[in-house]
Amino acid sequence: MQKKLSKAPVNKVMSLKQAVSALVSDGSYLGFGGIGDRTPTAAVHEVARQGKKHLRLVSDTSVSFVHDSILIGLGLVDKFEIAYNWGGIWGSDGVFRRALEKGIPHPIEIEEYSNLSMGMRFLAASMGLSFMPVKSLLGSDIPVYNKNIKIIEDPYTGEPVALVPAAHPDVAIIHVQRCDQIGNAQILGHIGDDDSLARAAEHVIITTEEIVPSEEICRFPNLTTIPYYCVDAVVHVPFGSHGRGCSYYYAMDVPYGNQVGNAWATQDGFDRWAEEWIYGVDDWDGYCRKIGWERLMRLARAEQRYQKFGEVR
Amino acid sequence: MAANIVYANDYTLMELMAATMAREFRDMETAFVGIGPPLIAAMVAKLTDAPNMTIAVEGGAIGSSPRRLLTCIADSTIDERAYACLPMWRLFGDQQRGFFDVGLIGAAQIDKYGNLNTTALGGYPNCKVRVAGSGGGNDIGSSVGRLLIMMRQEKRRFVDRVDYLTTPGFLSGGDSRQKAGLRGSGPSAVITDMGVFRFDPKTGEMYLAQCHPGLEPETIKYNVSFELNISPDVGVTEAPTQEQVEIMRSLDPFGLYLGTGRQVMADPEKGFDFYMEILDKSYETMETLFSKMGK
Repeated sequence: MQKKLSKAPVNKVMSLKQAVSALVSDGSYLGFGGIGDRTPTAAVHEVARQGKKHLRLVSDTSVSFVHDSILIGLGLVDKFEIAYNWGGIWGSDGVFRRALEKGIPHPIEIEEYSNLSMGMRFLAASMGLSFMPVKSLLGSDIPVYNKNIKIIEDPYTGEPVALVPAAHPDVAIIHVQRCDQIGNAQILGHIGDDDSLARAAEHVIITTEEIVPSEEICRFPNLTTIPYYCVDAVVHVPFGSHGRGCSYYYAMDVPYGNQVGNAWATQDGFDRWAEEWIYGVDDWDGYCRKIGWERLMRLARAEQRYQKFGEVR
Repeated sequence: MAANIVYANDYTLMELMAATMAREFRDMETAFVGIGPPLIAAMVAKLTDAPNMTIAVEGGAIGSSPRRLLTCIADSTIDERAYACLPMWRLFGDQQRGFFDVGLIGAAQIDKYGNLNTTALGGYPNCKVRVAGSGGGNDIGSSVGRLLIMMRQEKRRFVDRVDYLTTPGFLSGGDSRQKAGLRGSGPSAVITDMGVFRFDPKTGEMYLAQCHPGLEPETIKYNVSFELNISPDVGVTEAPTQEQVEIMRSLDPFGLYLGTGRQVMADPEKGFDFYMEILDKSYETMETLFSKMGK
């Protein structure tokens, strides 16, 4: 019999230290949510600070400088399943390149998909299925090197179709704008694959800009992308995506990524960066104080000039 | 219409490339566009000849009208005044279903059948240079109506065989694309800083269709590793119009995409204030551009 997956509607608020320490172990299979926006950067830093190692990471789009590559650069990752590793306007990611070009700090195994096929892996898992078919990947080198992708003849049309395996992370960590104490999480703006990722994982940590009363959630139930029964822990982390933005709350800090990008140009530079920004602070509050609340508030004002929840601007 | 065209006297190669790409979009289409120069090209089209074109970006937003600098395909900018913000798998599912008429992406390498590499150069998985990976590239190349490609012209990028085939073009030519089970109609145009390339409908082979002003086919041939076919009536690319150049400079006033503005942002002292200033200034510029279109 399947073990009980649903979590009870009880108060799940805790600190990020508690949540990561309770749910993430050495060897965990982790999926960090967000795509460009709402990156769970505070949680990535906490996993790094707690030194969880031999991790297997799965990401649709992994975002340079604020996401999976931090853990790769620290040598905490054994295997990485991705569609894309990218910094957008920030350019390429020195850590990702060093790991795959030179095996620095140590070689990692890589398993590649495309955006849609990775999304299908989470979707399959989210519905209790073991695979999904997709009309991408065909004719490319992606299935040549990734043997977990099967090309079969579609039993209904006779055409070739690719099958991708379900991805079931042990823990998904997702940053959202609004969540209540029991874990009903609301996302504003684009969603990434977080709706599926939350259901695919065995455990879910939600970090949130605001904890709001359940009555507030019930005013806009269509916004609840992740219902409480997926969620184990709710953590209040304002500016938890700093570096990237958080739609309707604060804008992306473009210069931050350009500066971190320069720091990460060498492994020495990366190590010095991690010493200062991850190990040099106690928690995300310490990080925010180091970045400066004034800078964070300017990013919030910048975003809200263009869009603020509930207002047409 | 043609009578009133005023061509720009002064433009950069990147601007020529983006302006040329803008002409590949058509009104009323739904376009799937990547960030950077591709998005600038699509915005130029939307603000000139294709006002009813809808731009969708990989992050999951459709039809946004942001009044600020476009920094990413997946930051909050793309949600601003969007028609819809979807899960990413849903947006790509819409594409697989056939809702997207045209897609525009870049690449590190291309071969004569329009197959693209955005994964790794010099071997795989052990490689000399690692690039970003497929992202949505493979999906767009597999299913989108027409595929447009924008990249730099260099001998080492226009190769006989791509080091890793990330995104399918016409595979090995002929009917190999259909046989593989792919649905979209494949590459339609490649636009570089030297010319415009198209594909023979029967063989799937690339040919040079236009040279940018001042360039001879022979010069372009020298910058391609494979035996390049040249159209018997190879043309000269139309220069950007004054209007196109003005729009590009309003969209990217500090040359973040089409110039060198990125380094200024990286300055630890002045970078952040510079960025705040860009965001502030872009509001009015973009309001003016959009209000011209009645949005």
